[in-house]
Amino acid sequence: MSTQDTGFRIGVDIGGTFTDVVMLDPATGRLANEKVLTTPHDPAEGVLNGVQRILDSEGTAPRDVRSIIHGTTLVANALIERKGVKTALVTTEGFRDVLEIGRELRYSIYDLFIDMPEPLVPRVRRFEVAERMRNDGTVLQAPDPDAVRALAGTLRKCGVEAVAIVFLHSFRNDANERAVKAILAEELPDITICTSFEVMPQIGEYERSSTAVANAFVQPIFRNYVMRLVQELGRLDLPQDLYLMLADGGTVRHDTAVEYPIRLVQSGPAGGAQAASVFGRLALEDNLLCFDMGGTTAKACLIQDGEPLRTDAFEVARVFRFAKGSGLPLQVPVIDMIEIGAGGGSIAQVDKLGLVQVGPESASSKPGPACYGLGGAQPTVTDADLVLGYLDAASFLGGDMALDRAAAEDAIREALAEPLGLSVTEAAWGIYETVNESMAQAATIHALESGRKVQDFTVLAIGGAGPVHATNLARRMGVRRVICPLGAGVASAFGFLASPISFEFVRAAIEPLAGLDLARIDTMVAELEAEGLALVTSAGIAEADATTAVSVLMRYSGQGYQVDVDVPRDLLSSGGTEDIAALFEARYRALFGRTEAMAAEIMSWRVVVSGPKPVLEPQAALREGTAKIGLRPVYFGEAGDYVDTPVYDRYCVPPDTPIEGPAVFEERESTIIVPPRARATADRSGNLIIDLDG
Amino acid sequence: MTQLSPVKIGVVWERLNGLMDQVAETCVRTSFSSVVRENYDFAIGLLDQRGRQIAQSRRSVPSFIGTMSRTLAAMLEKFPVDTLQDGDVLITNDGWLGTGHLNDITMIKPLFRDGHHLGFVGSIFHTVDIGGAPSPNARDCYEEGLNIPVAKILLAGEENVLLVDILNANLREPEETLGDIRSQFSAYHACQERLFRLLSEEALEDLEAFSDDVLDRSEASLRRAIDAIPDGSYSDVLTADGFDHPLDIHCRVTVSGSDITVDFDGTAAQIEHPVNSPMTFTQAYSCYAIKCALDPGTPINDGAFRPITVTAPEGTLVNPRRPAPVWGRHLSGHYMPPAIYGALSQIAPDKIIADCGSPLWNVYFKGRRDGEERPFVKMFFMNGGHGARPTQDGPGCLSFPSNVSNQAIEQFENQTPMLVEEKALVPDTGGAGRFRGGNAQRLTFRNIGAAPITVTIRHERVDNPPRGLLGGGKGAGGLDIVNGARIAAKSQTRLEEGDRVTFQTPGGGGMGAPSERDPAAIRRDIESGLVTASQAKQDYGYDA
Repeated sequence: MSTQDTGFRIGVDIGGTFTDVVMLDPATGRLANEKVLTTPHDPAEGVLNGVQRILDSEGTAPRDVRSIIHGTTLVANALIERKGVKTALVTTEGFRDVLEIGRELRYSIYDLFIDMPEPLVPRVRRFEVAERMRNDGTVLQAPDPDAVRALAGTLRKCGVEAVAIVFLHSFRNDANERAVKAILAEELPDITICTSFEVMPQIGEYERSSTAVANAFVQPIFRNYVMRLVQELGRLDLPQDLYLMLADGGTVRHDTAVEYPIRLVQSGPAGGAQAASVFGRLALEDNLLCFDMGGTTAKACLIQDGEPLRTDAFEVARVFRFAKGSGLPLQVPVIDMIEIGAGGGSIAQVDKLGLVQVGPESASSKPGPACYGLGGAQPTVTDADLVLGYLDAASFLGGDMALDRAAAEDAIREALAEPLGLSVTEAAWGIYETVNESMAQAATIHALESGRKVQDFTVLAIGGAGPVHATNLARRMGVRRVICPLGAGVASAFGFLASPISFEFVRAAIEPLAGLDLARIDTMVAELEAEGLALVTSAGIAEADATTAVSVLMRYSGQGYQVDVDVPRDLLSSGGTEDIAALFEARYRALFGRTEAMAAEIMSWRVVVSGPKPVLEPQAALREGTAKIGLRPVYFGEAGDYVDTPVYDRYCVPPDTPIEGPAVFEERESTIIVPPRARATADRSGNLIIDLDG
Repeated sequence: MTQLSPVKIGVVWERLNGLMDQVAETCVRTSFSSVVRENYDFAIGLLDQRGRQIAQSRRSVPSFIGTMSRTLAAMLEKFPVDTLQDGDVLITNDGWLGTGHLNDITMIKPLFRDGHHLGFVGSIFHTVDIGGAPSPNARDCYEEGLNIPVAKILLAGEENVLLVDILNANLREPEETLGDIRSQFSAYHACQERLFRLLSEEALEDLEAFSDDVLDRSEASLRRAIDAIPDGSYSDVLTADGFDHPLDIHCRVTVSGSDITVDFDGTAAQIEHPVNSPMTFTQAYSCYAIKCALDPGTPINDGAFRPITVTAPEGTLVNPRRPAPVWGRHLSGHYMPPAIYGALSQIAPDKIIADCGSPLWNVYFKGRRDGEERPFVKMFFMNGGHGARPTQDGPGCLSFPSNVSNQAIEQFENQTPMLVEEKALVPDTGGAGRFRGGNAQRLTFRNIGAAPITVTIRHERVDNPPRGLLGGGKGAGGLDIVNGARIAAKSQTRLEEGDRVTFQTPGGGGMGAPSERDPAAIRRDIESGLVTASQAKQDYGYDA
């Protein structure tokens, strides 16, 4: 580990508006950060600007930097804006329309006017090859090499830059995909070729096609970007050992990342979740609901035993209001994070039923909430927060941006209070309660969908609006504790530094548990482990420091949903199927409170090979001074009125000194609201821990 | 009780709807019924003291819309509320009292809080096997399985031993159905606990003031939408393929102020084949059609349907008398939306869609895998093209009015000794029009096992394809083919090793005159191959 502890580490997150750069000196724990404008025409430019600036301002020599870890929305944006390369799809004969037909399901049941997402590859560029694999992996028909060569000619004429190859049952036997790839690669040396078995060998032809196609669609662009960045870093004398953040919270070296760009989709928010688990660990909390509420979205993610929950299905580029089923499905390992609301910019209005409705329309940052004074006339969540006294008109963004309270009141009066016969305060409280209730419902259902109870978690609030809403949200969910960490504004970039080098493999193997040949599984896992170790050690990690985690997706035969069961690595060689059955039953009971007297079956195995998790102990950026800086009227539903509430400077609150609510804590990017019947205590790491009903 | 503020109403409503969804999610995840899991053929609902439904889980198929309060009324006739006690659960799967066929079980539990009757929680779920021998040849509903009359399945928390014995003796896989029934009991319990907590937190003694308010609001919302369309009476007739002879469905929609009446007078008499749609199913799909067209955004409760009256003479296809066979009730019931939209197209052409390639197509495969004793039965769904919309083409292969997804071919081949040889969009199957109907799909299955496989189908829209609206052309009719030869759309066929069966679903109808179609759209269709150049020439006079 000694080599790991020296040298500065830089994390870079490219966001929509800003590129955040953080730099950690592991020797001292000092954490510096910079924000520079994102440069959409060439994102590498912003990254290099930011890195140069942080080196200059900290007086750090480029050669003292050990590694740079990077996350980017480039992949997601290319898919959302459909700005990938001209791509073709090669499928089993008879199945080129699978990509267009999808699941045949309407994602919105009462809406006659829904649009289905357009496939990334239009019908004219979807080609078929006469080949067939049986479900058990038997080759029924091997592709004819001459026909594939002829197809290569057609592809060349189409002028495509990338080709995805997806054959039925290739996750069970990849021979036909491999054979066609070999010929196409030989015939079309300048064209990117992705096979579905390499991108994600999972059952389900539609989802696997969608994933392989998306990977091919973005790969050339992503590769060019990464290569240019590596080259430019070298020019600055920085290490060319660039690492990229994956959507599942792991990091890989750039040469691996460029093969599977689809695994980077959502890598920024994944960094936020990783940061949340670090903050949680500092506060001695391992089970967290990370609640990230910004100006345009609110997201939730569960962290259990210090690890963000993961899933292997994700949808990108949803065409309708974040509706499940309206996007392009991707079978990639991702941190399981869901959209639970539209953030501080969500617009409030009276709906057709004469009730308060918040979102899904958003005022975004332009024109923004009415109180920004940028032309927004519709009341938003931020306007309600201001009227209720949760935000201070003068100290928003550390005083950089004055808010117009009168404009907020006018907007709420006109759109809600007058039509509903309420006072402006009642209407503002209505907005606050409504948005919190709908986020609470969405987060609660998300927990259930992941097989957890939300009450077993502590809320960790990040994002500008997170701490403003977190305590009320927590009470609605029946959660008793809220943590507000320091430095929530650059959480994603910070989270990159907390991520281990790791790589995940999934192998489908559908079979009954009874009679399972564990020795065969042991061999398969050993092979994947060796492959993973090769990737991890190529990043300079000693083999002895790498660990392998094995889990299995299981269910009772006849069920349709599976549960993930962690399996100790040595159990595969020394244990029996009855041990796996016991682990499954314990897990099932924990999730659903009962077990069934039925046979269980295996769906797939997952193997994750990781390097050590970096240990981060950032210094709290606290300062000397008087904590209590004034009083202001703040509305609390619990009191039914405005209450003169003490205001604290968050950076001056002494540790281990409980402060009773109601109280308000001001910080640069946000405000923490502590309601009546709650108590806030700062810990030694600078977290503010709020106990409700305490 | 004093009047509740709109903020309070909004928050309580969000909480109740969320509560329904949470309980539904738990039930679905632990369910043994593939139809429940994959198609959300399941609903959970909350009813007030007076038996009016206030909330329902949001993701369920349309067949359950509005049925729960009617089923409850029938249950209370037999077991008046003052005879019920805490821990009782009522059950029935009667097609006429429930949702139209025996495969859906409705259970409702009265809720008591501090000794006072508060309301009811109930659920409806699909069970794959209900005994009997449902088949296209069933002549009456007795052949279709076990009818559970209105009964108590739980008596003050204890299982009704006689009833459980009867279920055990009559079902092929009783452990699955009973497993699902028992999991509902714990769901009701969880629902009750959370509901009581919600009421204390919101300081509500009962649900009545709240339900008065939300039912009125929901009613008012639909009334405003009905008010906005012109008064008058508008009618439509469509023809279903039927079994031995075609069956006409007559529909008259009358708008009068803020009321709307749908009447099916004139519709063909019921037949001795399982396509009859009991009134409860006819009502559900009629209300669904109107809600989609006029007021799609508001949550479901009894108030949302007060302005709608659905009538049909007894003894018809859409209001059959016992003991009509009803197993395939959707073969008539799925015609309610297109019949209503045909009538509404005359006054609200911007709110409706052309005919879709439905009633839903499915197929049962029954056979034996090599080396296995136990036979398999596998149901496979395939959707037709969606009808064109007033401003958009219809999507290809999209489920309407039901909402049933397909199954992955790779999964299907794991479960059956069959090879799927194609699943492809079929050119020239969407109806022409200013906006084109969605394309149909073709699927071919080959028996690659040694044992024969029985294929059972009951397909509609073969002789009478989906119609276009407002000048749009009709979609292509469906096709069923075995080894290259057409077979009847309602039939059973044996596939020997190597035999092939092909299904081509119906295409969606077009909307608006073909002459008004944007030439760029025609060009795109030809380029993609969804429309051939010769068909484009014929339909649009377009020279490629």
